Amino acid sequence: MRRFTWFNATSLTLGFAFLYLPMIILVIYSFNASKLVTVWAGFSTKWYGTLLQNQAFLDAAWVTIKVAVISSTIATVLGTMAAYVLVRAGRFAGRTLFSGMIYAPLVMPEVITGLSLLLLFIGIGLDRGIFTIILAHTTFAMCYVSVVVSSRLVSFDKSLEEAALDLGCSAFDAFRLVTLPIIAPAVISGWLLAFTLSLDDLVIASFTAGPSATTLPIKIFSAVRLGVSPEINALSTIMIGLVSIGVISASIISKRAAVAQQRDEQAAARTS
Amino acid sequence: MAQTVFAPWDDPTQRPLIQFKGVTKRFGEFVAIDNLTQDIYEKEFFALLGPSGCGKTTMMRMLAGFENPTEGQILLAGQDMAHVPPNQRAVNMMFQSYALFPHLTVWENIAFGLKRQKMPRHDLDERVDEMLRLTRLSKFAKRKPHQISGGQRQRVALARSLARAPKLLLLDEPLGALDKKLRQDTQFELMDIQEKTGTTFVIVTHDQEEAMTVASRVAVMDEGSIIQVATPANIYEAPNSVYVADFIGDVNIIEGAATRTAEGYDIAWAEGQPPFHAKTPVVLGNGGPAYLAIRPEKISISAEKPDDAGNTVRGRIIDIAYLGNISTYHVEIPGGTMIKAQSANTRRLSRRSFTWEDEVWLSWTDTAGIVLER
Ligand SMILES: Nc1ncnc2c1ncn2[C@@H]1O[C@H](COP(=O)(O)OP(=O)(O)O)[C@@H](O)[C@H]1O
Ligand SMILES: [Mg+2]
Repeated sequence: MRRFTWFNATSLTLGFAFLYLPMIILVIYSFNASKLVTVWAGFSTKWYGTLLQNQAFLDAAWVTIKVAVISSTIATVLGTMAAYVLVRAGRFAGRTLFSGMIYAPLVMPEVITGLSLLLLFIGIGLDRGIFTIILAHTTFAMCYVSVVVSSRLVSFDKSLEEAALDLGCSAFDAFRLVTLPIIAPAVISGWLLAFTLSLDDLVIASFTAGPSATTLPIKIFSAVRLGVSPEINALSTIMIGLVSIGVISASIISKRAAVAQQRDEQAAARTS
Repeated sequence: MAQTVFAPWDDPTQRPLIQFKGVTKRFGEFVAIDNLTQDIYEKEFFALLGPSGCGKTTMMRMLAGFENPTEGQILLAGQDMAHVPPNQRAVNMMFQSYALFPHLTVWENIAFGLKRQKMPRHDLDERVDEMLRLTRLSKFAKRKPHQISGGQRQRVALARSLARAPKLLLLDEPLGALDKKLRQDTQFELMDIQEKTGTTFVIVTHDQEEAMTVASRVAVMDEGSIIQVATPANIYEAPNSVYVADFIGDVNIIEGAATRTAEGYDIAWAEGQPPFHAKTPVVLGNGGPAYLAIRPEKISISAEKPDDAGNTVRGRIIDIAYLGNISTYHVEIPGGTMIKAQSANTRRLSRRSFTWEDEVWLSWTDTAGIVLER
């Protein structure tokens, strides 16, 4: 059978073009010397330079990174805890309800999540700013972390924890010294996922950001409404780079972990 | 030299290390352990034997502290263990799956429990090295569990659970994953270690040969209860029920009606046949219906009727199972009952005297059979 046919080649090209052409154009035009977005005037990195002079963008970038780091860290702690409890607690009344409630925000329209958080913050009289964005991002990233971590915990051999208890660990030590190091790859990829989600979130951030703090996606979105500039292209290129690094490392880590896990399981199953 | 027999269970002045007192464990409606009372003494090698699902692991998990009894008490050295968490019991468990920490080396696995005790560094190093020597793992100290063989992993698990010098070591089917040869070597190694360290061992197994080899006493379990506890020899020679007789080794069970005689019972087992005699101090509660249990190796097989045997019966060889060192003859006796008789193959195959369809005499002494209640 011939692998290469014109039909296959065409669909592959079309598919990838569909996915990546817009981004490639954006990246190319970020190196455009001309101020006009649609006219190519030679290669230049000057827009990256002017970007560094743009205080508003730099502020927004700084806010975005702070929000992403803090919210994904909190989300990882909370999400791991939630996953641990739900996987470990066994059956209790309302367990399905609880796990359903943790995963529901995954499919909830972001507009609704954003709106409800906005109403909450107004209701309790919390001034909108970086703090509220962090809270909001923690909320929605937490369920992603919890999904990633609990899928690892399901296959985690519970007798390892019992062995740790048996050897004198408190429940917390057993988690810290045995469970956590073993599930660390899943926790790290959960963190990276939360980080990237926070980095590129526009909808929820728009609802919860205030005049004192805007994130980069909000800044870009509002800037674009006044017209696309090469500066924006440069900024977006940087973001594409960051997000790609995050996603790629997350997948490499979980792939490696899967291989290691398989190896350990095979080793455990082998008899002599 | 007069050697005292190790039998603390017969000595009323000995205090047991472990006491199960009316312990019941339920999982929901399901009764996994049913009102169980049992003492286990210091330095014993106590084997729990029984079919899968009879509650062996549950008993171990209650001793280790992973499960609490629904009713009753478990005492360890006189202390009620009800509210003592696993990490505060002088008990260690070797898990069926070994449960080695995959992210730690062999050395770190063994040191894990000692570090929790805040043992000084110098003593800790010494203790780990001692354990490595005892289990002959010194060469593998720096390897991770996935870099060693199954037999070595099993020894790491053993070393790790022994390192804290527990009063009581629980072994849940420790040799389940090993092949027969390695298994036998390890059984002797376990006995050796138990002797050296003086630790009390409770071992779970579903392999009766293993239980017989290693144990000071064997407990045969069924559906959450202990049916009989005795030394390996006694449980084999004097089972208290058909269940135990059948579970441990091979046995012929002959049904009949018992009538009391001066020294035991006569068992009428078939119309028009002389009854079998059994000498026994046992007194049946219900008289009448009974079982006669005889081990195949206690039945001799001969061409001529022996004059001096207590019991004889004529039969026809239906089948011969050649097992190398011994042969088992399946002999049909009047009434259609099949009796297994074993004889050692001291001669070469070609000079063996019996073959299929031969008419033979089976015989055994009055003390060979055990009378059991029906
Ligand atoms: N956590 C549990 N929940 C419900 N049933 C259990 C649990 N643990 C054990 N059982 C049941 O108790 C019985 C005894 O189990 P176990 O002690 O593991 O048997 P064994 O080790 O003798 O094979 C089994 O029927 C098993 O299904
Ligand atoms: Mg079991």
